[in-house]
Formats: sequence, structure tokens, C-alpha cells
Amino acid sequence: MNVTLADIHRSFGKNSAVDGVDLQLGVGVFGLLGPNGAGKTSMLRMLATVLPPSAGEIRLLDRDPRRPAARREIRRRLGYLPQNLGYYPSFTVVEFIEYFALLKEMPSAAVPRAVAAAVERVDLGTKAKAKLRTLSGGMLRRVGIAQAIVNDPELLLLDEPTAGLDPEQRVQFRSLMRILGEGATVIVSTHLVEDVGAACSEVALMSAGKIVFRGTPDELTARGEGHGIGDAPLERGYSAVLSAARS
Amino acid sequence: MSIPNESGRLPSANDPLGGVDLGRVWTGVAAEVWRRHPGLIERAAARLLRSPGLARALITTPSLLLPWLISTVVVFGVGALVNLGPGESLVWLIAPAVAAVGIAFAYGPGIDPAWELSSSCAVPDRMVLLTRAVAVFALNAALGLLASVASGAAAALTFGWLIPMTAVCALALAVAVATRSAGVGAAAGVAAWVITVLVGQTAGGQLTASVTNASGYLPYLVVAACCAAIVIYATRPQRGLQ
Repeated sequence: MNVTLADIHRSFGKNSAVDGVDLQLGVGVFGLLGPNGAGKTSMLRMLATVLPPSAGEIRLLDRDPRRPAARREIRRRLGYLPQNLGYYPSFTVVEFIEYFALLKEMPSAAVPRAVAAAVERVDLGTKAKAKLRTLSGGMLRRVGIAQAIVNDPELLLLDEPTAGLDPEQRVQFRSLMRILGEGATVIVSTHLVEDVGAACSEVALMSAGKIVFRGTPDELTARGEGHGIGDAPLERGYSAVLSAARS
Repeated sequence: MSIPNESGRLPSANDPLGGVDLGRVWTGVAAEVWRRHPGLIERAAARLLRSPGLARALITTPSLLLPWLISTVVVFGVGALVNLGPGESLVWLIAPAVAAVGIAFAYGPGIDPAWELSSSCAVPDRMVLLTRAVAVFALNAALGLLASVASGAAAALTFGWLIPMTAVCALALAVAVATRSAGVGAAAGVAAWVITVLVGQTAGGQLTASVTNASGYLPYLVVAACCAAIVIYATRPQRGLQ
């Protein structure tokens, strides 16, 4: 298992963001669904080793991230796209991706080719030398995805990756996720259920810090038959599960 | 010339274009066209710091304009206070810590836009911060040297504050790289500074003043408390990840 969470809790003051989550994940694309404030971003930040859990045990890539040496090894094999991608406006696309490739301790000799491959995978070749301050929101999101995949990660964490992408780019991105998910654990946090239906082999739904559903997209769809609200079958399943969890 | 495809398989006659993987070729070309060639300073820093990532952080520090400006204001402000102040050892002892906290704030989560991303990377964020402190002081020292040509006050600030602080930060970073621990490096820098200040206090001729003069007790207690705090923090039980 690449990810093992045992009774994970995370609180901010008196507010409980994640409240007793157990999860085991292997290779594949895993969708994390839920409304705003459900705890998805806190979960991803803990998996990215940015935020420590208040309680519980985490193992990532068969290592204990509480140990500094193990944490460093995990981070070398990790790709992370935060919900709010901070960037340096004066950097070019290539400079930004290269900077994070180096901070991930990729071998220097391998960095130029890896950066070029990542830029091409997100279809930003024509903007490779453009300053980040000149890019649109969708392009910046693709820069964020490129820095996340530049080290060919074994564990890829993407928080709202399709926010700001146009429909064509979203279709391309889902295809990229499926390819990456063949050899890595890809966890995608989103509130767009169509992304999950198209790209994820498994899905979990979070509400109030807890996982209230785990299964395949088809199983989530089945929960909405005759219940729930929404235009698409998966949306009806989503709303039906959430309603049941809240009642 | 035949180029192996991504699987490493040799090309066959049935492969398109004689087995040439055009995507792979293009990536190689793009890598050459787009690659950035590090300058002399960055290459030297990469060797000294044993990390191209830290070297890149060192070189890019001044280009992150807002944190750089905030750090510079803090550094010059603390330096001016130290030089204009009463000159008591306590002021001198805590001055580097005040400047370091200012730099840490400027490049911390509140201001550095990419802090969250940086803190998920293998190179520890505290090492990056130490590197940035060296860059801030070194560049300010260079500016101070230029200003010293025209102003005596600038010369006092440069030689009495900026250059010693650059040396202290460089020592801290060197120890941190050697021991692979930013905490140990910071402790070494603090210790070196404390020794320097105390030696200066005793330079009046009374070599035992540092242990017999009651006015030194308070600074000693402060330094001891700082060291204890560093040790406790560095060896704390790992309840969280960081």
C-alpha cells in the first residue's frame, strides 16, 4: 500500500477538520469528493507532509513521515499541487518547474529533460519561456500540474487540479491522470463529480471531516437511483450520500 | 542513427519512421533549447552546499522582491539600532536573532507565495531559510560596501554589523550542510556570535571578566535558555510530521 491512514485527526483550535479517517490506497486514481469545508484540503496537506496530524498514524510509500530521513525520501517521490498555487511572478514556466525539480532533489543532469517532458505533457510548450505573471489562470494551473509531475512521482496529490481549465484541457487532463495512475497512486481532491466519473477508479466522499462513502464511481451512482438531486447520475449519488450523512 | 524508443526496445522495420520516437526526440530538443545554464556563482554554491536546489534558492532570493525588501528593512533597522544603541552586551546578543526572525517572517508562510509547495519538497525548508539569510546579509553587505565609499555611517553599519552577520549566517549554513541539520547550524551560528561578543567584552584586559562580572549573568542566562530551547525543540518527541 502506498498510503495507509489509521484514525487520523486534525484540528485547528476547536474546529475539527479531519475526524478519524482510515484509508488504504494502492496504485490507481483515487477521487476525494466533498463539499467545501469537508476536510479534503487538510487531508491532502497531511498526505503532502506539509501539515502534521493532531492524532493518528500515517504511512506513505511504506515509510513513516515522522522520521526526518524517511520524510525526505517520501518528498523525493511526491508530487503535490496545492489548492492555492503560490508562484513567483518573475520566474518563467521552465524556471519555476526546474526550481521545484531541484528542491525535490532530482539529479541535476536529469532535470532539463524532465522539465521539458512535464511542460509538454501539460501542453505549455509555446509558453515555456513566458514569465508566470503573463499567464492566465488556466495556464498557471497547468504549470502547477507540471511541477507536480516533473519528478515522475509515486504519490501524486492534486487539490482541485481542473479549476480554471477549459473543457478541452479538462478532458486532456483526465487522460493524463489515467496514464499517471497506471504506475502511481494519484489522489485527486475535487468538487467536480464529472472529473471523478471520468478518471477515477475509486472514490471517497468526505463530509464534516469523515469519510462517509468509499467505492467505485458506479457504486456512488447507484446510491442516487431514485434519490438525490442533480443533473447527472453521479451527482445524484453524491447528493444522496451527503444527505444521508447529514441526517 | 537509430534511437531506442521509450521502452528501450531496438527499432524494427515495422516501426514508424524506422523506430524513431519523435516525441522523445522533441523532448530532448526542447530540453536543450529551454535549459537554463547556471552561472559561475550558482555552480560554486551548488558544490559548496552539496545541493543544486539550495544553490538555486540562494541565487533567486533577491529576485523575490517583496520578501527581499522586508528582510532588508529589518536587517538595516536592527543594525542601526545596534550601532546607535547603548552598546550593552544584551542588545548585541539578541540582535542577530531579531534579524533572523525578520528574515524568517519575510520568507515564511505569510508572505512567500510558494511556501506550501516548498515545504512539501525534499530540501528542508529550514535549510532554504538559512540559505536565504546568507543571501540577504551578503547582498546587503555588498550594498553597504558601496555606500561606505560615500558615508562613514554606512561604513560603520557595514563593517560593524552586515559583514559580521554575513559571516555568522555563512557559518550557520556551513555547519547545517555538514551536519545535515538546520537546527545544529543555527545553534553553531548563535554560539559563534555569543563567543565573539563575550570575547569583545573581556578584551579590556580582564580575561576572567566574563565569568566573574555579575553583569554578564543575565546574558548568560538568556543564551543558556536559547540553547536549551533549541535542544528541546530539536529533540522533541515526534508527535507530528514537522
